[in-house]
Amino acid sequence: MPPPAITVGVLALQGGVVEHIALLHRASSSYPSITFHFLEVRTPEQLSLCDALVIPGGESTTMAIVARRLGLFEPLREFVKINHKPVWGTCAGLVMLAEEASATKQGGQELIGGLDVRVLRNKFGTQVQSFVADLNLEFLGDGEGPFRGVFIRAPVVEEVINGDGKVRVLGTVKKPGEEEDIVAVRQGNVFGTSFHPELTGDVRVHAWWLGNVVEALSQSVKGEDLVIRSGKSVTEQT
Amino acid sequence: MATNLANGLSSISDDFTVKAGLAQMLKGGVIMDVTNVEQARIAEEAGAVAVMALERIPSDIRKVGGVVRMSNPEMIKEIQAAVTIPVMAKARIGHIVECQILEALGIDYVDESEVLTPADDQYHVQKTDFKVPFVCGCRNLGEALRRIKEGAAFIRTKGEAGTGDVVEAVKHIRTVNAEIAQAKAALASEGELGIAKLAREIGADPILLKQTAELGRLPVVNFAAGGVATPADAALMMQLGCDGVFVGSGIFKDALDREHAAKRARAIVKAVANWTDKKALIEASIEHGTAMKGISNADLKEEERLAGRGW
Repeated sequence: MPPPAITVGVLALQGGVVEHIALLHRASSSYPSITFHFLEVRTPEQLSLCDALVIPGGESTTMAIVARRLGLFEPLREFVKINHKPVWGTCAGLVMLAEEASATKQGGQELIGGLDVRVLRNKFGTQVQSFVADLNLEFLGDGEGPFRGVFIRAPVVEEVINGDGKVRVLGTVKKPGEEEDIVAVRQGNVFGTSFHPELTGDVRVHAWWLGNVVEALSQSVKGEDLVIRSGKSVTEQT
Repeated sequence: MATNLANGLSSISDDFTVKAGLAQMLKGGVIMDVTNVEQARIAEEAGAVAVMALERIPSDIRKVGGVVRMSNPEMIKEIQAAVTIPVMAKARIGHIVECQILEALGIDYVDESEVLTPADDQYHVQKTDFKVPFVCGCRNLGEALRRIKEGAAFIRTKGEAGTGDVVEAVKHIRTVNAEIAQAKAALASEGELGIAKLAREIGADPILLKQTAELGRLPVVNFAAGGVATPADAALMMQLGCDGVFVGSGIFKDALDREHAAKRARAIVKAVANWTDKKALIEASIEHGTAMKGISNADLKEEERLAGRGW
């Protein structure tokens, strides 16, 4: 049974927040029996109200510095890695959810982790190398046509750093004259994309991810209703 | 402001999506003027979303005077090598070749800026001709939409740069807001004819004006700039509806030392990230310490005003 109401947060420290909320609203119409609440998250208290979280694009260095000052890092790590709640990071959000990042600022930058991958920041170069490309995302289902992937100073997944097969590659892109790059990955409750579905009018990735959120919470509600409500869910999805 | 800018501009090209998209990713952030590698590193460590590389901060441009041009590419390259956040740089109004040079340097955003001495008294740069995106200043809605029509993917208020006096930036955002409200009213009461009439009056493209009226905001990201000197100034501009803030002289001018500049930078980032949180604004104001001395806008002679450059 899906829960009657689901609260999805969008981490609102900086970046493309309202774009995600607008597309999540549109995507939620695919699940008419569920009441969705979409919440901008700036504090640990707001995070504690969320069943799932989107970490938007922006500048990952800025987000890390602001998150540290607001005391959000530990609550975010608990949300992602202990409570295993559904989380999706786009661009800077993917960087934040990686266990390792290269091409970071001098002295490195703090990450939340959750994806056993190393991301390479600004893979394609500066803004003049930013681009849009058709992506074949099989998880969206057959016959839907390619997804317009918007890549802005985008990171890519440089390497999966844990060989036990938990990280699933869900999308790649190949720029002319370059090698194929991993641009969408999933590991259990954590999903990451290099590109920005929130900058398109195409609702498919948001709808797919909300479907995953609904599914994960439905499974939790089945056996562990009380545990979920107390915020200590340890739902495993593989 | 729960507006999806990308959806609002559903007819736009991929090229413009990518240009405007970077500005969308900078929202809620602070872009800081820096003149060397050390300042750029201070800005990045403080949490700036981008830096603007220029030879002198605007308050020193006022002091030194003379013709002010694009910065030396050598200095820009050093700053690009020192930080991972986007690096922006200024070109003179209408100076196509300065823009070409900045584009070839791999600058992330060109600011076609009134802070530099204009190179053309008739034309701004045709920004659609470039792959690099542009940010431009405005004092009102007509000026903002003229720049967007030329291809600007990001708008800022002009304010009065280098003064540390926020009054002009406030005037410019209030003017833009009032004219957007006027456009909404015109669309609601008179439809297309109302938009066409207002478009003629303010010298704007009617299609962009209609889009603005429908969105209830500028169709691209809009930051505050020009005279923002303190955390309270920055939060004021956010509360007036700006998407983020450029801080020019306010970080490094009259700073006691490196650490004071770093504290000021952190304080302004904090104020922009928490612009409605009064407790955070108190903390940010304390951390910021003494602000730049500044020049009252009212004391400026007409020829000392930079905002009047461009049209």
